[in-house]
Amino acid sequence: MTTLAERSDVERPGRSRRPGRSRSDRTAIYLLLLPSLLPILLLSVFPLVRGIYLGFTDARAGRNVGVNFTGLENYRQLLGDELFWNSFKIGLLWAFGVTALQFVLALGLALLLNQQLRFRAVARVLAVVPWAMPPVVVGILWKLVYHPDAGLLNEFLYRIGADGLRANWLGDFSTALPAVIIVGVWAGMPQTTVVLLAGLQGVARELHEAAAVDGASPWHRFRHVTLPALAPVIVAITSLDFIWNFNSFGLVYVLTAGGPGGKTMLPMLFAYEEAFRYGNYGYAAALGNAMVVIIVALLAIYLRRRMREAN
Amino acid sequence: MFGKPSRTGRTLQYVALAGYLIFLGFPLIWLLSTAFKPPRELVRLHPTLIPTNPTLQNFVQAFTEQELGRAALNSLQVSLASAVLTVLVAMPASYALARFRSKLGTVALGWVLLSQLFPFVLLIIPIFLVLRQVGLANTHAGLVLIYVVWALPFALWMLQGFVRNIPRELEEAASVDGATRAQVLRRVVFPLLAPGLVATALFSFISAWNEFFFALVLIKTPELATLPVALARFVGIEGTARLGPLAAGSLLATLPSLIFFAFMQRRLSSGSLAGAVKG
Amino acid sequence: MLRTRFRRLAAATAVAVVGLGMLAACGDGGDDEATSGPVKLRFLSLAWQKESLQANKDLVAKWNAEHPDIQVEYVQGDWNSVHDQLLTSFEGGDAPDIVHYEAASIGEFSKQGYLADVSDLLSDDFKGQIDKGIWDTATFDGKVTGVPFLLESQVVIANKKLLDAAGVTVPPADSGWTWDEFQANAQKLTKPGQYGAAWALKSPTNRVLNLALNFDGKFFYTDGGRTEVKVGDAEKEVPKRIHDMLYTAKSASPEALGMSGADTLPGFFGGKYAMLPGSVSLRQQMVEQAPAGFEWVTLPPIKGQSSLQAANPQTLSISEDSKHKKQAAQFLEYFLNPTNMAALAKGDWLVPTGKQANEELVKLTGGKQGWDVAADSAADLTVAPFQMADGYPEWKTKYATPAFQQYFANKITLDQLATQLVDGGKQVLR
Repeated sequence: MTTLAERSDVERPGRSRRPGRSRSDRTAIYLLLLPSLLPILLLSVFPLVRGIYLGFTDARAGRNVGVNFTGLENYRQLLGDELFWNSFKIGLLWAFGVTALQFVLALGLALLLNQQLRFRAVARVLAVVPWAMPPVVVGILWKLVYHPDAGLLNEFLYRIGADGLRANWLGDFSTALPAVIIVGVWAGMPQTTVVLLAGLQGVARELHEAAAVDGASPWHRFRHVTLPALAPVIVAITSLDFIWNFNSFGLVYVLTAGGPGGKTMLPMLFAYEEAFRYGNYGYAAALGNAMVVIIVALLAIYLRRRMREAN
Repeated sequence: MFGKPSRTGRTLQYVALAGYLIFLGFPLIWLLSTAFKPPRELVRLHPTLIPTNPTLQNFVQAFTEQELGRAALNSLQVSLASAVLTVLVAMPASYALARFRSKLGTVALGWVLLSQLFPFVLLIIPIFLVLRQVGLANTHAGLVLIYVVWALPFALWMLQGFVRNIPRELEEAASVDGATRAQVLRRVVFPLLAPGLVATALFSFISAWNEFFFALVLIKTPELATLPVALARFVGIEGTARLGPLAAGSLLATLPSLIFFAFMQRRLSSGSLAGAVKG
Repeated sequence: MLRTRFRRLAAATAVAVVGLGMLAACGDGGDDEATSGPVKLRFLSLAWQKESLQANKDLVAKWNAEHPDIQVEYVQGDWNSVHDQLLTSFEGGDAPDIVHYEAASIGEFSKQGYLADVSDLLSDDFKGQIDKGIWDTATFDGKVTGVPFLLESQVVIANKKLLDAAGVTVPPADSGWTWDEFQANAQKLTKPGQYGAAWALKSPTNRVLNLALNFDGKFFYTDGGRTEVKVGDAEKEVPKRIHDMLYTAKSASPEALGMSGADTLPGFFGGKYAMLPGSVSLRQQMVEQAPAGFEWVTLPPIKGQSSLQAANPQTLSISEDSKHKKQAAQFLEYFLNPTNMAALAKGDWLVPTGKQANEELVKLTGGKQGWDVAADSAADLTVAPFQMADGYPEWKTKYATPAFQQYFANKITLDQLATQLVDGGKQVLR
């Protein structure tokens, strides 16, 4: 651990508080938080509380429909809902797969973009292309990439003479999920890259230089200087990525609509259909609540471990 | 980062970078190519990269049929407002969250994560009702408000991470030197926070620029429609689309974000910690 | 110092946020509740092809010019998101007055009470133009909640040169092939690098259930108020024949299974597929996108015991919450009068539901570009039991589509398919 990092660890908030400052600090905190809490209260807390509550009712879509509190009835039904749990498994695979690949690839790219390479500015701009593209066109674009007859991928394989590798990427039971995971990684990489790139600026150059003088190898420096300094940013972005990925289904919906044979039926797509297609708000909210509990548990384990490592 | 790499190391870096850029950037080339293709060329069994008979017809159609120009102006307005507001609101809050440990802060951060976890579709109707109640349905202000709330989780989590990364003693050293807290913030904290703020502004701008669903359900006056909503109208039944005009429109919708980023990306590396320590 | 600075900053942002809200609140409001002046109707249209977009806009503009007291605002939606848009605006009490959608999808909204019964709002004259079987597709629990206006029949588009080369003759418009003939001809048209047909089965359930009526396959049976799914020989016929073409005769391409109709075009134009069983509206792409010198023909619908198909017409509905239902109905009668309906159908390359509109359309086009076949197919379109069944959308997405996809991918047998469909029905139709 570096001296700088250690020192900032010693100066933990709360312990460094000087006497007589505490009350003004507290006022300041509330005032500082107020602007962001206000809209959150209005547009996030109320809808969310209502959403959570719906999970314990039999709410249905409809004009002038009454809502009854049904307690745990939804959850009893949920436990026996084999289709949902299947889809939940697919969702975990999808979210883990996308988040992990996204992180590894984005870290590599961020390190490259942080180098004094030529065309760096151009490269940085090109790297955010997937993010800048309107989502409407992204799904259509990837369908054209994976199109069995005239798709860019199959065409590429055909031109390089690897005709045997051509496949019906989105239609085949074994390739559909990997194919959509690649699209997910592609779509989410720029955000992660930009954040990591911004995070890399916080890593003091002196530390590297000092370590280099000490004769540490690049890998050693990366492992013991860069990574620890980057840790808070990494934890934040991977957690958010995981949540976002678990929650996203629009792209997959456009590409496969959950097919073939349910191989890409993500749980959020499942909940969406339940709410918006069949009008079962109550049950859909119950699915949401169950997913939140499980994901929070997973995240808690992850965050706990990361925090401990960071300290 | 790794000091001076060898020549082969450099070459490898360029190769890797090229690989990344092809993977991430090729759709732009495809959009460019499609935008200039007449309908007959879009259904070739073996598509070509360069249009055989290039045409501007797609652009003409995209603009005359759907008033993309006005939609783009609407989007620009909403996205810029969202970006500015997000940064203004998130900056003080994240500073407070990172520097002062308080229960409220922990709750806020937890809440923010939770709000991102719950199925989005179930929140839409209540949000819609709230906005109607306060008279913000069918207004750009309503959209901006939603986008700011939508961007805040990211903004808060990221920015407080960045603030934590700024060693406290830098601030303290500066105040020992006689700087006021305001000066400390301006001279020490902001420059170091700049990359994070840029990332946040960018995130907020682009999410607002591309957001489709709320723009669809909240805005009912056609004159107020944003770009993604206008573009979606080139998509038809069963996911078939009028590729030409869609590609032309999408190409033009992609450029502002890229230009915005091109201006901002320099800022991603301006606030070097090393400089701050020396200064 | 720190405190005041922070406070000022915080207060400023708080004011900014609140002020923004108030500002907007002032800007809005009032524009809906106008009591005097012309009646304003919002019309959500889903037209998206160039010609039909123009036809829609022209008709609205003409109406507005002729009816200063009833002004229609044309709002364009899109097929992908219209369901979400409608549900949200229905629930939020902010729905358009007139809504364009399709019979298969308005059932849910209708049962939820969001759509008005139009049967008393429209004149008998107008209603008489459309067959009862077609009206039935938009009738739910005895309420007619949509005006069906555009029909999509399943025909076969074929590559004329390949037919000629294989010695297959084009049947006349009023006497199409039987399934046996179609399968035999597909076989003749199959050779290395070329398939006789491409079944685009991106939405396999709708497709199969539509065609199943050819052999009287109903799938949904109602007896004494209870509906259940049954899969007997009649229901198995169509899926079995498609499966045969895919895996026994190998005259249909398995690669096309995940495609939508338009996805098959590169292969069709490139000579990889000789015939495309698909929607009449595919003719639009033929005209617009076929390479120079490419000859295509529209073959009549395939026949089983009959050539009946399930109709899923596009519809126009009036919201239950609309304050001006009568005026909306007035607009609909104008918008869908024979001449206008023919223009709309022409723009979308679909079949009009009105008899007179259909005749006008044939006259207008001289029956060319497949319009003769399209006009003839209208008589065979009718309502199918699945369209009336509660829970069909859920059965389709959760059970039927994955089961059909597995069957057509040759992963399960026909009997397993039947079992899954029936079991799914038991889960949903409780």
